[in-house]
Amino acid sequence: MAIAQNIISIATAAAEKEGARKITRVNVVAGELRGLIPLQLTYCFGVMAKNTIADGAQLGLEIIPVTGKCRKCEETFILKDYQYVCPKCQGEDVQTVGGTELRVKDIEVQ
Amino acid sequence: MKINVMTDILEANDRIAAANSDVFKKHRNLVLNLMSSPGAGKTTLLEKTAEALKGKLRLGVIAGDIETTRDAERLQKYQLPVVQLTTGSACHLDANMVASALPHLDLSRVDILIIENVGNLVCPAEFKLGEDYKVMMLSVTEGDEKPLKYPLMFRESALLLINKIDLLKYTNFKLEEAKANARRVHPDLEIIDISCITGEGIPVWIAWLGQRYQTKFGTAKRA
Repeated sequence: MAIAQNIISIATAAAEKEGARKITRVNVVAGELRGLIPLQLTYCFGVMAKNTIADGAQLGLEIIPVTGKCRKCEETFILKDYQYVCPKCQGEDVQTVGGTELRVKDIEVQ
Repeated sequence: MKINVMTDILEANDRIAAANSDVFKKHRNLVLNLMSSPGAGKTTLLEKTAEALKGKLRLGVIAGDIETTRDAERLQKYQLPVVQLTTGSACHLDANMVASALPHLDLSRVDILIIENVGNLVCPAEFKLGEDYKVMMLSVTEGDEKPLKYPLMFRESALLLINKIDLLKYTNFKLEEAKANARRVHPDLEIIDISCITGEGIPVWIAWLGQRYQTKFGTAKRA
């Protein structure tokens, strides 16, 4: 709910800055590690958008898979089931380089 | 028309968290964000911690709860600086709520401040409060697969306390499996087994607190 509220605040601020009157779509990028539940977020977004210029806007949700980078052989790979093991050299010193994002990417306005 | 935004959704929260963190540093407070499911034993842990720290380091507590002030009432007999935050319907604490509690605490009389988050394994992991470390508590009555279901919380925490290990024999909780699952998500995670009822593992937890205080301030005790 708080995340939906923040999305709307950010989107409406950006739209008003450009003098837009209505937001038709908000595109959000969310890492898999954030554990967002798309159905739930979409529902909360719809509720919180009421009586704002984002009322009725669509929420686009792009989920970024968890990506790791091996500190030993520098291989970058997508993690399956949160297994922090390098598929190339089997090294376990793996840094998370993707999958924790949470940002409003862009909005479509009228 | 398309407008590029590229704004972090939690940016406003993170800014307030950074300001909180500066306040804590000024008052020489080591700050922990304690998170768990409801009923894992957070408040009992605080009671045990208050007893065990007596004469060593001074504990302060910010207790988050959705409706009641029961947690703060339970802690009153230890004569700690305690502030209760009731979040209303919110399922987590955020940096702004913590900032609002700070004027009600004498931070100069606190060495270790534990912020007891609302019982929930999802949302609290998203919101920084200004803490030095996130500490997560999992009890053996909850199930050993939890780390795989709630990866962010395990990934973000520096320490995992596995509580109620005195009940292990009555449950199908596999301790080694739970630890293996937690380390799949976070290989460097520190884990301490504890029982707030028998007191097992509490000295290890107290030693961890002492070490972290020393790491932050370079002394085992307040100057």
